[in-house]
Amino acid sequence: MNDFTEFSSFRLAEGIQVRREKFGLLFYNYRGPRIYFVPSKKLIDDDFFDGKQTIGQLIDSIQSEHALPRKKIEHSLKTIFQTLEDKGLING
Amino acid sequence: MGNRFVEMGLSAPVNVTWEVTFSCNLSCVHCLSDSGQKRSGELTTEECIRVIDDLSAARIFQLNIGGGEPFTRLDFLDLMDYAHQKEIVTCISTNGTLIDEEVARRLDHRLVYIQVSLDGATVESNDAIRGKGSYKKVLRALEHLRKRNIAVSINTVLTKLNFPELDKLAQLAASFGARSRVSRLRPSGRAKDSWSGLNVSKEQMVEFSNWLSRNLDVSTGDSFFSVTTEERRSLGLNMCGACKLTCCVSPVGGLYPCAFLQEPEFMAGKVPEDSLALLWDGSPVFQSFRQLEIKSCESCHRFDLCHGGCPAIAYHTQRRLGIPDPGCLANCVSVKQNQWPLASSQ
Repeated sequence: MNDFTEFSSFRLAEGIQVRREKFGLLFYNYRGPRIYFVPSKKLIDDDFFDGKQTIGQLIDSIQSEHALPRKKIEHSLKTIFQTLEDKGLING
Repeated sequence: MGNRFVEMGLSAPVNVTWEVTFSCNLSCVHCLSDSGQKRSGELTTEECIRVIDDLSAARIFQLNIGGGEPFTRLDFLDLMDYAHQKEIVTCISTNGTLIDEEVARRLDHRLVYIQVSLDGATVESNDAIRGKGSYKKVLRALEHLRKRNIAVSINTVLTKLNFPELDKLAQLAASFGARSRVSRLRPSGRAKDSWSGLNVSKEQMVEFSNWLSRNLDVSTGDSFFSVTTEERRSLGLNMCGACKLTCCVSPVGGLYPCAFLQEPEFMAGKVPEDSLALLWDGSPVFQSFRQLEIKSCESCHRFDLCHGGCPAIAYHTQRRLGIPDPGCLANCVSVKQNQWPLASSQ
């Protein structure tokens, strides 16, 4: 992933939809169609992918609910977003 | 496929099959819904709009439209436009006979998939099932759709009649730039009567399973997981998705586990009077269906590939749920190799 900083934001790739589920996020790709299960639990809300929020703001939001070190959250998010980008589900 | 996530329970279906009318201009001998004449109580345009609003609010991704023949509804294209405004993908299953140049123009949308039914590679084999003149009309429709570059698949319900023509059907689909899809005959609707005459033999089912393994680009609508081989493991579901990933809305708004189980005992409720999201989550019918376990299959070497197969076929052939799919590959193999006898898996 080239650009993953506090200022990064992400949008859904074309043809992709997403919704929140108990396990995390459920992505749907209308090409196929295929679905992808992302066990992100409550870390990321599906409206994060409208591109308006930055990673820094997302980390702030997570920290306000969970007493976790910033670096640890950032690492978890980077792993998740890397996977999503590799699968063609989001664009940076 | 993330079975463990599906087992946790989704907040709404991924896709919903919606049979929008019983009206059909053909009378195919294997019609799953015994369609023909429009019936009383079919949802009005306004009710259909409310259903779409409800499905959108539940955040379903895809509508699989069927019938009956959807294009016999005069409001059908307007309803599809409305679904697309809500960003719902529509996969429209049609007999193709009413698709002309103008209809193809209206269907030219990024969220539309068309699935045209063709049950034989020749006039003779197709029209024997779907009625005289249908083959030529379908080919004309495919030409209109190809000109618009609309995503199309040609769906064939596997029968004894078209079993020898599978390669030709795949070639025909390719010649129109369409994907080939083969789905399973199930003994519901008029197929209850034609089942014994049309359903492939166990030997043919084994041969078909091998054919699918050689033709990985052919889709099956997840209807053949009872005969899925390792080669196709990653291509789709390995279990029945009813009440877990999908459900069905009938032309009069009844909500059922799937299109092949539209029996009174399986009706969860009615839309749009009741909210789909509430029925999906709270209906006792759906809850018990999700807990359906085919215990006798759990020790089978194929369990991870099919999880007991299609409950609808088990129900229609033996009036019971919770028993193995009668078309299970393990049982098919028993015919040749005297292994996995049906009796021991029940």
